[in-house]
Amino acid sequence: MGDNGFEPIVIAFCCNWCSYAGADLAGTSRLQYPPNVRIIRVMCSGMVHPNLVIDALTKGADGVLMCGCHPGDCHYIDGNLKAEKRAEAIRLLLEDFGLEPERFRLEWVSASEGPKFAQVMRDMVQQVKSVGPSPYRT
Amino acid sequence: MAVKVAEEWLNICGGCEVTILDIGEPLLDLLPALEFVHMPVLMDHKYFGQTGEGTELQIPEADVGIVSGGVRNEKEKHVLEEMRKKCKTLISLGSCACFGGIPAMANMWTLQELYDKVYRGSKTTEAADTPSENLPPLLDRVYALDEIVKVDAYIPGCPTAPELVVEALTGLLQGKPFELPERSVCDDCPVKREKKAAGGQIKRSLESMQFAQEQPWENTRCFMEQGYLCLGPVTRTGCARSLEGPEGSAVKVPRCVVGYMPCRGCFGPIRKGANPLVDMMGAISSIGLDAKQVIDRRALLNRYIGGQNRLRPLPQKPAR
Repeated sequence: MGDNGFEPIVIAFCCNWCSYAGADLAGTSRLQYPPNVRIIRVMCSGMVHPNLVIDALTKGADGVLMCGCHPGDCHYIDGNLKAEKRAEAIRLLLEDFGLEPERFRLEWVSASEGPKFAQVMRDMVQQVKSVGPSPYRT
Repeated sequence: MAVKVAEEWLNICGGCEVTILDIGEPLLDLLPALEFVHMPVLMDHKYFGQTGEGTELQIPEADVGIVSGGVRNEKEKHVLEEMRKKCKTLISLGSCACFGGIPAMANMWTLQELYDKVYRGSKTTEAADTPSENLPPLLDRVYALDEIVKVDAYIPGCPTAPELVVEALTGLLQGKPFELPERSVCDDCPVKREKKAAGGQIKRSLESMQFAQEQPWENTRCFMEQGYLCLGPVTRTGCARSLEGPEGSAVKVPRCVVGYMPCRGCFGPIRKGANPLVDMMGAISSIGLDAKQVIDRRALLNRYIGGQNRLRPLPQKPAR
């Protein structure tokens, strides 16, 4: 597959309370974003351990997005702050696995931010397209 | 009739063989039931006949085969395959055999890079060609035994523990399979945990640890929470030793913790397919330590387990 026709697979972990509802709003508002994104609903961004992200990137995905509530809005009080801490570790791990930092992103998307959700998805897919397929993809 | 045992060592320091000798008195009870038919570390036995007249590698038939060490070169691979053919049950002894061990840290580089570094890149040696005469060629990387042949039982540890060898051998004599529980070292560790790091820097393991000697273990704070890099959360348990507790009771304490040292991870991942490097980085950031301060993460958190593709040269970025 040449870089020109490259369609990346992006996994988006969205928290049940904000970001998944944001995705829902983007859908019901008929906002357009690329179909490369596969959304996985999780109860909280704080439950996305580094192994989920690294497994995704080494077993077929080209990019991973972690979406949670804005700081202070977390349904579980501080889950998104945990996610932020973990994101730091994940960025270090990308280095250890020889992956580009552009393949991972942490974003806060609230339930009312449908347009922001669509925009983040468009940006992320564009960003992953520009770095190319994951080196672990066979 | 005594059970025939063949023992072979491959890419190893010999520490696990010392462990077999270190069994001590229980070995006397075991010995009548065992007959060692092949053990290069203790007995003279030539692969190709006593005067080298043979043309094929000879290892006698045995009921139990014990192999220690990973597989680094063609000769070791050949010996291992012969051991598998001749032994009904094959035990992999020690972390090198189970996961690649310390030598498998070399798996972070390609063979060519290693040759260049050792024979040409080192400032203290004269540049030379890579030696090849009369030497078995190296494989592309260090392999654990189960990447080459089927293995029936694993006894990890660096070096492994005499009690485990006894347990595995007596189990086999009675026809019981030997398997360690799928739990972490922390599950067998009696120290006090508060689920949150005391804060501060990640410390080196010999730096001023706080512990309560001669007191119940509950008075000592978890080493990781004190800021030491302890691989307990991502390492399989099994090394714990029974110590005398208060009023004649017994406490199980992991072997390194007994010596007030953090776990180094020699028993390998908790279950097959787990990735201690990733899990440990998650654990460090979850309890509030700064993951950035861990030096040489890849090597340190894969210290004993570089085989089975856990350590490999980083993917080359394709030219864009």
